[in-house]
Amino acid sequence: MPELAVERSGSRGGGFQPAFLKAVSIAFTIFVVGYILIPIVVTLIMSFNDANMIRFPINTWSLKWYRDFLGSAQFTGALLNSLIVAIGTTIIATTSGVLAAWAFERYPIPFKNGLYLIIMLPLFMPGVVLGLGVAIAFGGINIFGFQLYGSRLLLMIAHSLWAMPLVFMLMEATFRTIDHRIVEASYDLGGKPLQTFFEIVVPSVSTGIISSALFAFVISLNEFVMALFLTDRDTQTLPVLMWLSLRSAGTPRLAVSAVILACAVFACLTVIMVWYIRQLRKTAR
Amino acid sequence: MTTAPALELDHIRRTYGLVTAVDDVSLTVAKGEFLTLLGPSGSGKTSTLRLIGGFERPDSGEIRINGRRVDHLPPYARDTATIFQTGALFPHKTVAENVVYGLKMHKIDKAESEKRVKDALAMVRLTGFEQRYPAQLSGGQKQRVALARSMALRPAILLFDEPLSALDLSLRLQLRAEIKRLHDELGFSAIYVTHDQSEAMAMSSRVAVMNKGHIVQIDKPDIIFHEPKSEFVFTFIGESCCLPVTIRNGEVRDKSGEPVDLKLARPPAAGEWRLYVRPSRVVMGEAAAAAENRIAANVAFAEFLGDVYRYHFKSGALELFCDYGGPERFQPGDRCVVGWDSAHMSVFQ
Repeated sequence: MPELAVERSGSRGGGFQPAFLKAVSIAFTIFVVGYILIPIVVTLIMSFNDANMIRFPINTWSLKWYRDFLGSAQFTGALLNSLIVAIGTTIIATTSGVLAAWAFERYPIPFKNGLYLIIMLPLFMPGVVLGLGVAIAFGGINIFGFQLYGSRLLLMIAHSLWAMPLVFMLMEATFRTIDHRIVEASYDLGGKPLQTFFEIVVPSVSTGIISSALFAFVISLNEFVMALFLTDRDTQTLPVLMWLSLRSAGTPRLAVSAVILACAVFACLTVIMVWYIRQLRKTAR
Repeated sequence: MTTAPALELDHIRRTYGLVTAVDDVSLTVAKGEFLTLLGPSGSGKTSTLRLIGGFERPDSGEIRINGRRVDHLPPYARDTATIFQTGALFPHKTVAENVVYGLKMHKIDKAESEKRVKDALAMVRLTGFEQRYPAQLSGGQKQRVALARSMALRPAILLFDEPLSALDLSLRLQLRAEIKRLHDELGFSAIYVTHDQSEAMAMSSRVAVMNKGHIVQIDKPDIIFHEPKSEFVFTFIGESCCLPVTIRNGEVRDKSGEPVDLKLARPPAAGEWRLYVRPSRVVMGEAAAAAENRIAANVAFAEFLGDVYRYHFKSGALELFCDYGGPERFQPGDRCVVGWDSAHMSVFQ
């Protein structure tokens, strides 16, 4: 019977469970979940506050600050900047990240491991370092009268420093799951290389592409430090404007801004989930 | 209609570093012929097929399909279609989308391709499965979709890359018969790669036995079986008993030096020889009395194989076996005469 005994103690749930450890670990689980939810929930509640200050208790509930946010050209302009930069970052990072990952997975490249580390490097760099570096490297560039510094384009490039490695990392792992015989089968059936890439390869990794694109979008939307370094009054993003107005007046309008940003993130996560489940229905029984 | 053969390989060679996978292979597949490349793993049969499909380029030699040289063309420009070992169906496409894919790539018009998809699925008996995804099919159904997908293209030659080896035995036999039926009905030209000699025997018009990158014998299945040109072919095709002997001064002795009474049609020169006889040609007991070659042997052990018992004999240093139906006839240790006719014996040095 020794085998059976090993089986029992190895399986979760059954067997001897010290009550003390169980109580403590469950308590910590509750703590972690609460800790994670508190800032979001508090901000959400505060955004419905009628008062002029971010302060508890809330006496009157209203959508006043939502109206105020939408009526403020400065705030909607900043939100628009954020969205434009995020979309631009998504396009730059996804296109280059996906193609680089395909090349990396598919073809022999010298010094692959070293290159992989270099590509991953920006993910570990502080935003101030990258922001300053981009400002110094590209700050003085002027293309036919277009001043790169302070432009949304420069911020897209800077945000891509984080988004691109992330897309690359996710896609490199995703491409590895492709059965290369389906690529050969496509060639065999008359699919030319580009047709094969878009008809067979891309749909096989659509979940990976959608999730990495949305992660890129979210990274750019949330980024603050580089945006602070690289934007001016006309191109500043929502997080930058929030920080600036927090210093002057802490109205619940800030909470509204935070809720809007958080909603954008939730929307992205929902799209990823829905797509993932949709694909899973197809490829799994 | 051209008169050129469906496929010609002309002195094909392919090396990978220091390994020569395909070494000077030449063969011709006539229109409507079903040719099997049979060999152990590493014999170069799959490499040969990949060269024909265009997944690899030959180092030298020519490949012609319907008389047109193709060895410089990529797979999508060749009039071939491969049925892969695992089916290689597109997982995110339905059965119908899988089958129509090649037709779409070849810009076949819609009405025609719809008809072809319908026909192809009917041929492999999968009508009604159009909207399923590959994950919802069994292994055998997947291979049938792969077959339909390739056949719908009506290529000059179908390439089968061990398509049944991932299936279990009963399904393998069923699909084997189905492929043979389709070939009889449609008359396509095909090259079939396998390491399973019974598959090769059952399906092929001709069999090319490969070893170490060479074709060692190419002929009709029955001739390959009955007149193997080399020891490799003899032992690879079907089961065989090997009797190692020494011949000196016209006398045959086994490895322990005991004389063995064998009637060799053409007594070979002195030296070390291996005599082979098919277990199906070995008789024993009373039936052995009339055999040209007889040896007295002990039953070493018997194996129950279901339909038959397999008896293993030992006579001096010689060992051989044969199968007999019916109830168990011998016990280990029993003495018995086993025999066979000289025509069924092959001798190799």
